[in-house]
Amino acid sequence: MTLFLFNFLLAIAWMAFNADFSLTGFVAGFALGHLVLWLARPLYPGQRYFHVLWGSFGYILWLVKEIWVSSWKVARSVLGFGPAVRPAVVAVPLDVRTDMEITLLASSVTLTPGTLSLDVSPDRRTLYVHTMFGEDAATVRDDIKLAMERRILELLR
Amino acid sequence: MNMAEHLHQALVGLLAVGGAFFCLVAALGVVRLPDALTRMHASSKAGALGCGMVLVAVALFFPGIDVLARAIAAILFLLLSTPVAAHMIGRAIYASEPPDSVIAPYDELRGSADDPAVRMRQAHAKGAEKHAAQPPSAKIRTGDVT
Amino acid sequence: MSGEISPFLSWCLVLALIMLFMAFALTVLRVLRGPTKGDRIVAIDLFGVLAVAFIALFTLYQSRIVFLDAAIALALVAFFGTVAYARLMEKQAAEKLAPTREAENEHG
Repeated sequence: MTLFLFNFLLAIAWMAFNADFSLTGFVAGFALGHLVLWLARPLYPGQRYFHVLWGSFGYILWLVKEIWVSSWKVARSVLGFGPAVRPAVVAVPLDVRTDMEITLLASSVTLTPGTLSLDVSPDRRTLYVHTMFGEDAATVRDDIKLAMERRILELLR
Repeated sequence: MNMAEHLHQALVGLLAVGGAFFCLVAALGVVRLPDALTRMHASSKAGALGCGMVLVAVALFFPGIDVLARAIAAILFLLLSTPVAAHMIGRAIYASEPPDSVIAPYDELRGSADDPAVRMRQAHAKGAEKHAAQPPSAKIRTGDVT
Repeated sequence: MSGEISPFLSWCLVLALIMLFMAFALTVLRVLRGPTKGDRIVAIDLFGVLAVAFIALFTLYQSRIVFLDAAIALALVAFFGTVAYARLMEKQAAEKLAPTREAENEHG
């Protein structure tokens, strides 16, 4: 968090030096400041700033790719030449614990077409997912746990 | 117009048509799919993707950075609000559907302890117990004292 | 922006607008037909998203940026409408499941 503030201040300093208070100036300053902080990594061991920043960037890219790929699947089904629609509700046991992690997982599940998070159990141990292609409950569970939840845990822990 | 401008406008046009195509798929899904929850799959996601693609086309078409910022803000808000809205509608549909109507042939939630219908009934029973244990007259009296 | 639009782009925009109009018509069909309340809410939610996409397309069609602000405002507001409908539906479901509700109201 401190590193993020540093990075932010460096970006503002860059904008001030160039007298360029625009979004382009901010992005350029932020990128340059980030590079400088990254080069000075050994100065502050044990921080997770770079990991989280780059990780979330990669996660968003992966999510966009997933949305794109599986949108095609749903579109083909709707138009009538894709896999058959077999609605099912599957219980997915959760390894994520905090509010942040559960919200992120549930939103990601909903954004990937074919799956839709319905409800979280009151003890927050189970996520109930409605799926369009539920021929096999174990496959749906593995898709969510191995692909999505693993990435979220790697990113936030 | 030179070649680069033509290519740029062609890209914008293809993105717009692609976005409109996904919007149309979402609407078709809402009409063709069998039940309310399955229809949501088409509407919430294909709709958001189509809308996002059109917004990207707008961001690419106009040169200014302010348009880019506004389009990105709109896309981000769309991506944030769609899952929340979908989650709320989904739960409402699931809770209001009578248990005997087939919404999904394979269902691990219906009838389990986490079923919203079961939970509502339990919460209600608990509320009734509280009322039975504590007569309403007692409540009024404490209200007068404070 | 030069304001000049190539023939290919204007053709694409017209095609996209036609597709969107078809989507609007299908959504309205579902709102009118929808056997349950949930179907109608889903269709109304989609209608809001389609309207945002339509305004964005119209921005391109007219080459005027001002319309984009309307799209953003609509994206913000449509979401709240959907949430309100969903809450109402959940409340009604809870009331239907609670047959002794009237007794409770007498107490309170």
